[in-house]
Amino acid sequence: MEYCESETAAAESEQHLIAAAYHIVKALGASKTLNNDMKRILTDLDVQLSKMTAVQENEADRTREMENKLKFAQRKIMSFQSRSLKIWDLGPGEDYGYLKAVDEVRRLAEILQNMPSNQTRKVKQLLDEAENILHKAMARLQEELVHILSKNMQPLEHEFVLLESCQVASLEEESTVPNEDESFEILSQRGRRGPDCEQYVVDLVHPRAIPLIKCIAELMFASNYDKEFCQSFISFWKQALDDYLINLHVKQLSIDDVLKMDWKRLTYRIRIWCRATRRIVGFYLASQKRLFDKILGEFGSTSSSCYIETSKASVSCLLNFGQAVLICPPRPERLFCLLDMYETLSKFLPDLGDLFAEEAGSLVEIEFHELLKRLGNSAKEIFLEFGNHVASNTSTIPFTSGSITHLTRYVMNYIMLLVEYGDTLNSLLEEQNLENTDQFSQAEVSQIINLNNTSPMAHSLKSVTSVLEANLDTKSDLYGDESLKHIFMMNNIHYMVQKIENSQLRWYFGDEWIRRHVWKFRQHETCYERITWSSILSQLKDDGSKGKAMLKDKCRKFNTAFEEVYKSQTAWKIPDAQLREELRISTSQKVIHAYRPFASRLAKCCISDKYIKYTEDDLGNYIWDLFEGSPKSLNHAKRR
Amino acid sequence: MPATDNQGSFLNRISIRRNQVADPNLELEDLELFQKHVADRLSDLLPVPTPTPCPAPAPPPAHAPAPVSSTPKNHANNNDTNTDQPSSTSVDSPSADHGPPPPPPMLSISWFRKLLDVFLCCEAEFKAVLIMGRDPSQFCKPPLDKLIPDLLDRAIKALDVCNAVTHGIELLRHWQSLAQIAVTALEQRPIGEGQVRRAKRALSTLLTSMAFDDKESNNSSSHKATERAWSFGRRGGGGAAANYGHNPKDKTAGTFRSLSWSVAKSWSSAKQIQAMSSNLVPPRGAEAAGLALPVYIMSAVLVFVMWSLVAAVPCQERTGLATHLPVPRQLVWAQPLIGLQEKIGEEWKKKEKKGTAGLLEEMQRMEKVALSLVEFADSFQFPLEDAKVEEVAVQVAEMADICLKMEEGLVPLQQQVREVFHRIVRSRAEVLDVIDQVGKMSTPVPC
Repeated sequence: MEYCESETAAAESEQHLIAAAYHIVKALGASKTLNNDMKRILTDLDVQLSKMTAVQENEADRTREMENKLKFAQRKIMSFQSRSLKIWDLGPGEDYGYLKAVDEVRRLAEILQNMPSNQTRKVKQLLDEAENILHKAMARLQEELVHILSKNMQPLEHEFVLLESCQVASLEEESTVPNEDESFEILSQRGRRGPDCEQYVVDLVHPRAIPLIKCIAELMFASNYDKEFCQSFISFWKQALDDYLINLHVKQLSIDDVLKMDWKRLTYRIRIWCRATRRIVGFYLASQKRLFDKILGEFGSTSSSCYIETSKASVSCLLNFGQAVLICPPRPERLFCLLDMYETLSKFLPDLGDLFAEEAGSLVEIEFHELLKRLGNSAKEIFLEFGNHVASNTSTIPFTSGSITHLTRYVMNYIMLLVEYGDTLNSLLEEQNLENTDQFSQAEVSQIINLNNTSPMAHSLKSVTSVLEANLDTKSDLYGDESLKHIFMMNNIHYMVQKIENSQLRWYFGDEWIRRHVWKFRQHETCYERITWSSILSQLKDDGSKGKAMLKDKCRKFNTAFEEVYKSQTAWKIPDAQLREELRISTSQKVIHAYRPFASRLAKCCISDKYIKYTEDDLGNYIWDLFEGSPKSLNHAKRR
Repeated sequence: MPATDNQGSFLNRISIRRNQVADPNLELEDLELFQKHVADRLSDLLPVPTPTPCPAPAPPPAHAPAPVSSTPKNHANNNDTNTDQPSSTSVDSPSADHGPPPPPPMLSISWFRKLLDVFLCCEAEFKAVLIMGRDPSQFCKPPLDKLIPDLLDRAIKALDVCNAVTHGIELLRHWQSLAQIAVTALEQRPIGEGQVRRAKRALSTLLTSMAFDDKESNNSSSHKATERAWSFGRRGGGGAAANYGHNPKDKTAGTFRSLSWSVAKSWSSAKQIQAMSSNLVPPRGAEAAGLALPVYIMSAVLVFVMWSLVAAVPCQERTGLATHLPVPRQLVWAQPLIGLQEKIGEEWKKKEKKGTAGLLEEMQRMEKVALSLVEFADSFQFPLEDAKVEEVAVQVAEMADICLKMEEGLVPLQQQVREVFHRIVRSRAEVLDVIDQVGKMSTPVPC
């Protein structure tokens, strides 16, 4: 490299001298008189000139000298080029020898071009020869450049890639398909909280090759072959970026293709996209930019225009996929994917400005912003639409056994997953709130803020659950049995409370909400007990009637009522074990509490066992069979 | 984007007007105006040298000028300045004192920029006619209930064409830089063998790349061709590159490189155009008086624009590209469209025989000059006689001119294609919104 500089410096000073001399001659021609100072300086110059005999030598000698130099350099160049091996492979030193010879030719060509006598046949011929050699050498240098680049490309399998490669397995297209129910939990395992990649920079090319590449660049630029250099350089890195994307499993897809994809394949593609975008925007482009700046930094805007040229195709492949996903119908399950994409991009937003700084890049940057904006809007829309989606889930037949509906599970799991995206969603929703407040006066704004001291996300989540409750309420009306209706509501609200209490959701809903809803499902529990048992147990009360027949009748009625309850309510279901147990305990306490005095009255009146079918313990045991979801009957026991 | 804002205000104005005057006749008038504007705009693109231009789109009555006068501003932002600079490519309505600028040569870059402007204008007006102030329930009744989904489907297909064209323009820029090398080399004086060979090398790569692109249209397993189209001195420079493919030691040449494709590997621009136009049927009978007509007109314009882009710019897999789109001749507004179509169709037929990379005027010229310069290079002998120098200088000047046109026009054209892309996406979303509203109206949401 040093030689490059020194040679260039020599050539430069020569040119400066020539330019200065021209200037003097011109100035002398223009002025008619000379003052003393000028005379003195010109005399000095004359003395200097007469000393430098070599320069004044006749042209023929000079041309001959040039010819010799050219021949020498040519021999050197040809000896390199005749070998089939790449010069880079000959080892260090050799390559610089070659470059030096080429630079010599370049310099000679330049001098020949600038020689005032370049009209003579000999000089013309020499110049032609020099340019010819130079052309061959430049073509060779292009090949060498590509060869050096491919020999010194650094593998990108650093720890980051290795770490994630184990996740690729779980990314395979075979991964489980989410279905309507609790499948969203599968989504949460998508490893989005994987190693966070802060933007960092790696060497795409081994540092030892950089000086040589730089030297080739300088030489080719000095020889006016800058376009050829850039072409080779760009096409090499374009290909490298292509290869890298292919290694990341990125596929070029048409929008039509993306729209036709089933949900499973699309999620897979989206995960690939997120990963690829993290890599490309996260470190690859920055590394590439640094490399380009190292090699081409001295040549003004060339570096950045080459860099944009190189990255454009691959970047637009990523951008287009993003746009294609946005065209897909905005179904609720897409929300997570869109948020993933949004978060992936927004994380690198500050870096995009650096990556696509120049004018040519700003278009790319705008496209990224546009995509990010649309991803955010689309995600927000889906989220805000979710309530309507829940509301529109209607049915005409009651849900069997009064258990937790699919909708409840779906909604709760859905919003539980959203918590992971809480910050993002909050900021998206806040944006909207700010937009809306535009229409309000300052006073109103502060009022809104005061009313809304909880986050917009919390607000939206609460509205989703209240829509769900309303929906459940409507559904509960489908039950003919009043008690079952309460069991149904109790089950579902209890499920909601459970999910919220035991997850991050509790921060969004707050203790107040939880307390209120615990009270609600307790209320339903109480209602159930009242409706099912009050009338039955009231018959057991001591109403003062003493007649045996009366007691026998009461006994028979109770038995029938109990058997009926047993028959229907064993088929009902309380999925939560604790809740089930609690209700059974409290029910059996109540029943036994009422039955005990009744049984003793029966005993007093010597009513035969034929009428007393159940002991206290029996009742307790039978109550334990309730809410299992498997219908049983007590008829078999009748004859006992 | 500023375009949205402009357009928004423009659409607002229309909607306000509509709300104020609920006159059913206005609707009819709008439809007629729309047809007229489409016809006028397309006529401006025809190369017919009429000495006295038809009475320049006279400002229609008070309520109507909005579409004509405000739409051209939508594209004014293509220039970085927002002031309407008089440029050869803009379709600013001709001012009173100066006559309209002569239309740019058919199929040239500036012609296409004008065409895309026309498209954007028509599209904005179409949307106004279709959506603004309409009763959205129409969208769910025949004939729109079927026509609108078709329209949206066509729009999506057009997006892929936009992407392919963007990629094609990128390839053109690559060719331009190759041609630029030749210009740089041959502008040197004296012309020496070295520079001639340098020019030849660049031009051969250029011509090979063009030919590969063309061959690609006829060859289904041509992924290498696309790759080759981009290569210059890749893993072995220029001339050597051709040999590299056959070198078993070179691992990279044979590797499949899907990303060199503009869209997807199996994607075909000809088939895409085919799919866009296949279900395009002009409305008949009573339908022809309603909204079905503008939907049809807009679709026809969309298909035409996409078709001409595909024909002009190197595009993936063009075998069997239709030479003519089925638009009935009797429709008045369709005359200029048919006229343009026939001209381009003829050119395309010629192309199919001759084999060029596309119909873009600059590109065809570039190919011609490149061929002749390569010929010159082949017969080159050192001291060049002066007559020959002159001759070459003329050609080099032409090439330099082509390069300049490309340099100035390709990036803006590419941006415009992107703008069309975003516009289509936005419009599609707007139409979907309307349909969505209809859906919500029929199922009231609880709480």
